[in-house]
Amino acid sequence: MLTRLIPALLLLLACAAGAAEPDLLEPEKAFRFSARLIEANQIEVRYEIAHGYYMYRDKFRFDANPASVTIDGSQLPPGKIKKDEFFGDVQIYRGVQRFVLPVTGAGTQAPRFTLKAASQGCADIGVCYPPQEQTTELVLAAFTSATPNQGFAPFGRMEPAAGAPAATGPGSQSEDSLIAGLFRGGFWVLIASFFGFGLLLALTPCVFPMIPILSSILVPHGEHLTHARGFALSLAYVLGMAITYAAAGVAAGLLGTLLSAALQNAWVLAGFAGVFVLLALSMFGFYELQLPNALQSRLAVTSNKLHGGHFASVFTMGILSALIVGPCVAAPLAGALLYISQSGDVVLGGAALFTMALGMGVPLLVVGASAGTLLPKAGPWMETVKRFFGVLLLGVAIYLVSPLLPAVAHMLAWATLLIVCAIYLHALDPLPHGAPGLLRLFKGIGVIALLAGAALLVGALSGGRDVLQPLSGLRGVPTAQGRAPVFLRVGNLSELDGAIRAAAGKPVMLDFYADWCVSCKELERYTFSDEAVRARFGGMALLQADVTQNLEEHKALLKRFNLFGPPGMVFFDRQGNEINGLRVVGFQPADKFAAVLDLALR
Amino acid sequence: MSRPLQALLAGAFAVLFAGAGFFFYQWRTGEQPPDPVATGRTLLAAKLLGIDDKVQPFEQWRGKVLVVNFWATWCAPCREEIPGFINFQTRYGARGVQFVGVAIDQKERVIPYARDIGINYPLLVGGLETMEFARQLGNRRSVLPFTLVVDRAGRVVTTEVGILRPDKLEGLLKPLL
Repeated sequence: MLTRLIPALLLLLACAAGAAEPDLLEPEKAFRFSARLIEANQIEVRYEIAHGYYMYRDKFRFDANPASVTIDGSQLPPGKIKKDEFFGDVQIYRGVQRFVLPVTGAGTQAPRFTLKAASQGCADIGVCYPPQEQTTELVLAAFTSATPNQGFAPFGRMEPAAGAPAATGPGSQSEDSLIAGLFRGGFWVLIASFFGFGLLLALTPCVFPMIPILSSILVPHGEHLTHARGFALSLAYVLGMAITYAAAGVAAGLLGTLLSAALQNAWVLAGFAGVFVLLALSMFGFYELQLPNALQSRLAVTSNKLHGGHFASVFTMGILSALIVGPCVAAPLAGALLYISQSGDVVLGGAALFTMALGMGVPLLVVGASAGTLLPKAGPWMETVKRFFGVLLLGVAIYLVSPLLPAVAHMLAWATLLIVCAIYLHALDPLPHGAPGLLRLFKGIGVIALLAGAALLVGALSGGRDVLQPLSGLRGVPTAQGRAPVFLRVGNLSELDGAIRAAAGKPVMLDFYADWCVSCKELERYTFSDEAVRARFGGMALLQADVTQNLEEHKALLKRFNLFGPPGMVFFDRQGNEINGLRVVGFQPADKFAAVLDLALR
Repeated sequence: MSRPLQALLAGAFAVLFAGAGFFFYQWRTGEQPPDPVATGRTLLAAKLLGIDDKVQPFEQWRGKVLVVNFWATWCAPCREEIPGFINFQTRYGARGVQFVGVAIDQKERVIPYARDIGINYPLLVGGLETMEFARQLGNRRSVLPFTLVVDRAGRVVTTEVGILRPDKLEGLLKPLL
């Protein structure tokens, strides 16, 4: 019987031996990196270190770009002592490690900066990972700006140092960079902005259902209602409403990191953008968003049953009213919530939404204080406010998907939005004689939007690819483009092989490029345009594989060279064989790169 | 059920699970063992800078029993195994064994370390892009230390991730001499 078992046991052993090769995690999984801005002068950097792995305390380096921003990484918390036979006692970290680092120089001068975090770690089974460098863009404007449009820059997008495909930070655009500029401050500025945002919301018809409820509270008091009591009652009501919104804000803050992590996924971004477009359409009056009628009337009945006059019950009515009004203000509310979730800050989330609700409640307070004599008149102006929100939401949608879109589509989208807005603002209609000032103001804004939209359109169609400088393509002076070396594009393996054969006698450089790859752009701008590099390019055949679309043949190209994604430069000798060990992955400054080219030209 | 039948059944189960485990492992890692000939060709075709700043082609060591060790001064486990390599180079150098160290490091750190510890074999240096090269040679997770043993015919006999123990190394080298 034993003899029969032996072969089976042997097989098991063989299998165990096969699995004995250490099963190691990819470095980005072993040491998960994330960073966020806490305040203008503080960032939080987190490393989630997998079980069985550790990081060296003295190997962390934090750096920022531009250089005017400095990050002080000298005060890291003490780690555990590990004996090292060569270096003596070294300090290491295990588990989740969180650093709060002081930042100086970020602010009006540098509203966004790139954090570079270098680190190095090992696994207990006796292997080490090479130093890792992670970069992430931190956006200060996003943190403090009042407008959701600016606020959606999902900060903390990671860009693995290996150059793996990653959505890069959205190109900043800035219709409202002016507004954002006004709001670069801190917590209180943000809170104030949300209050203003609430005031704007109060101007939408959404708040209307609340007025009859409020008057039903006030009216029973009849002539005995004093201004003070009216104000106190409506305040209790508004506070109830505010508490409900604050709860939503806290929830968004709690979900924060989750949401912003999800925001790095292309599908999620596109999905959100879709939701925003739908919400915008509702703002334009294509359809109404509200709770089902049955539910709405039941809530109304419940709140009516509660006796007015007592503060507690008025307060409860406020809570219930928030639920009734909720869906109507859902669109801007969702915007605000998403924005808060970016910060991942619970206190901020709660406080911001609380003050927003207070802002929404101001007209109600006025009605209360006037003891019911003042009630706003509905009018078409309310629809205008709604449309304004609609436009804002469409802008947010474009902003969200901008990292996914080619620059042309991005510019065309903005151009379309601006031009259509301008037409609605009567930019092209003649003003009637003696038109009121407001109409003139609208027309003025409309004309500006029209011009900006036209500039974007002309720019996009004439080869400009920069949203902020749409017409730069028309300058006529050959700038970077004239200096850039000419690459022969290859789209698949057979084209590549053909191009390498055609280059017989010359060394070949194959460059992997993609539109969304920031390092690729840096390479183009700083390295490839360098005199020394271009001189060496002269003796080489230059090929470029544009893998922006990530088609199957692009994947095949990357796979042949075992690359995850751009940027990557592969070199071939004069016989067309790859020169092993001479690859450049990631950004390299011109002087180093020139040295690599020398090796290739040898 | 008779005892032999019971044993047979147990054996069959063991085989089944072992097989499933093996295929699961293969599927999960999604990796075939690297082709010894192709990997050897890749290695021997490579050139790297030596600590003397000269380009060193691996081709110069063809025909030797070659042990290529990727390491760094900042890697504690790497430093742990190097004294053993120095010892092996002394004992087997005359019989055709050649160790070569590839440091993922700065030359300025490698030179004093090599002097202090008495490294008696050639050292090459490379930046992080050299890790990509190591990956092509079968270092799936790009970690250090990583060691390859190449026979006289240029075939990669073994790749080892993590410390290569002296007894294991001795067992690998003996048949190749």
